[in-house]
Amino acid sequence: MSLDRSYQASFNENNQEFVIAGKLRPRNEAEIRPLAEALDAALGKVRGTFYLNVKRLARLNNVAFRVITNLVSQVCDKRSDLRVEVVTSSVMGWSTRKFLPLASRLPNVSVNEYDQDFYPGQSYLEEGGFIPILRAQTKLTWTHERHVLPRHGLRPGMAMADVCCGIGDFAVLVQKEFSPASIIALDHSRTSLDYARKVAADFGVSNIEYVYGDASEMILEDSQFDFVTCRHSLQVFDKPELILKELYRICKPGGRVYVTNEKNSHCLGEPRADSIQWTYNEVARLWADYKMDIELGPKSRRFLIDAGFEDIKMDSFMVTNLDGDPQGFADIIQSWENVYAGEMARDRGDSPEFVAKFRQGFQDHIYAALHPKGYAGWPIWAASGRKPL
Amino acid sequence: MSGNRPLVEISMGIEAFASEWLHCDRISSYLARMVSHNRADSLLYANLLSSALNELLEIAFAHHGPEGNFCCRVSRSGEADVIELDLPCDAATLTFYSEAAQRLKRPDVAELYHSALFSPGSADPHLGLLEVAVDYRARISIVPDNGNRLKLAAEMALEGAAA
Ligand SMILES: C[S@@+](CC[C@H](N)C(=O)[O-])C[C@H]1O[C@@H](n2cnc3c(N)ncnc32)[C@H](O)[C@@H]1O
Repeated sequence: MSLDRSYQASFNENNQEFVIAGKLRPRNEAEIRPLAEALDAALGKVRGTFYLNVKRLARLNNVAFRVITNLVSQVCDKRSDLRVEVVTSSVMGWSTRKFLPLASRLPNVSVNEYDQDFYPGQSYLEEGGFIPILRAQTKLTWTHERHVLPRHGLRPGMAMADVCCGIGDFAVLVQKEFSPASIIALDHSRTSLDYARKVAADFGVSNIEYVYGDASEMILEDSQFDFVTCRHSLQVFDKPELILKELYRICKPGGRVYVTNEKNSHCLGEPRADSIQWTYNEVARLWADYKMDIELGPKSRRFLIDAGFEDIKMDSFMVTNLDGDPQGFADIIQSWENVYAGEMARDRGDSPEFVAKFRQGFQDHIYAALHPKGYAGWPIWAASGRKPL
Repeated sequence: MSGNRPLVEISMGIEAFASEWLHCDRISSYLARMVSHNRADSLLYANLLSSALNELLEIAFAHHGPEGNFCCRVSRSGEADVIELDLPCDAATLTFYSEAAQRLKRPDVAELYHSALFSPGSADPHLGLLEVAVDYRARISIVPDNGNRLKLAAEMALEGAAA
């Protein structure tokens, strides 16, 4: 795994964004004159706000920093109407801190660490509340997935990446059962990664590397992995195709990308089927209001085809209260209720009457799961595609 | 720096090092990657360490004595990593680094760094050192050795530094 070798620069007039990516460590100004000229020309064309996007700029020395900031300063001094927004990413570690002094010097420059605010549902997923959900879920899905994964091409000795790994328990289970050569597990939640590292250490697992990153702009190199997984996560992005593009990019030609997703409105239970169904239809609406698609499961075939994959394979399975301890299933439902009918409903501004009815459906699902003659299910779609050779 | 656990070291003639600008980038990327693998977030750590190390190497590239051995070492002391550069030195180089050492001691070193970042004309030759001291909160020591060599050490705790 290494970083890009050199820099790429491009300007998009439609959104007035100048993107610099890769590595910029010239010996002198002359070496990056083409970049300076392109940036100067771009600044000249823009009205309103100019975006300088350095989210994927991995390396920058002071020679290049001064060339860039000199140009920006000159233009800003002359044009008080122009605003310049430097868009950095916390993933790189140094870039926000490096550019902030420019914003203190120039009133029309601001620095925005964009990944603090990518999409409406993010804070729910990245902060503590989701961890219990993920933990409860993986335990039960694994009883199915361990049988499904070989059909989708997972073999011992493979180089694997788990993107949006959450608390990393899936990576540990895969490591134990399938012995891949290595696993890189990436997520954008520091809380989850800390948890993941602790779990791996407790289990004495050493060849999983937990990496902080942004799935839509990964700093992993192209064509590195035989098997790339991304579980329950396409459904949390408002633009899943951007993530798929990245999964495709890091996958080796001939390797496979494996995704799992849900269709929550198809959760079911007996008895009390109607109340359960009502609540899960509402879950789908709630997620949609946060621009996430918890109904994505059956759409994964289309997403994979549109992303350029071939030999698509698809499975669905139903996690149920009969998969093991029914209490395990009930724990999943309870963790959903806590977050969906808790902070998410509250922040949407739902009325107490709505929340009470919403909660009832979850409780009825738990009732069905624990009922001696009851049945409760949560359907999941696993899909994979091969990156063409 | 005794008591530190050396992790990795690169050594070559100073002429060889200074014959090719890309050495700064290659050595900093390589060493950073090597010493980061057992840090909690290896990619982030390597990114930060590489940035700091590259600035120091670029300074050594431009300011060193004419001949002798050049050595770059990274060692670990607890949470901190120590970058050490050991290089040949002549009178002019010695003056350059002693002046840097004086400036690094000043209480207003952060302002020095920020004004050097945006200074008009050619860049302040100490800029990289100021940056490593301020942005990476490194403890930097510069110690002449025998009048013809110099040891530059920068100790920094980068873990969690990005947050
Ligand atoms: C529903 S969870 C699924 C986690 C895990 N795959 C599992 O099945 O347990 C979605 C995960 O995506 C992560 N995530 C959200 N946005 C991300 C981004 N831009 N880059 C990387 N991970 C992200 C969240 O932190 C969260 O851990």
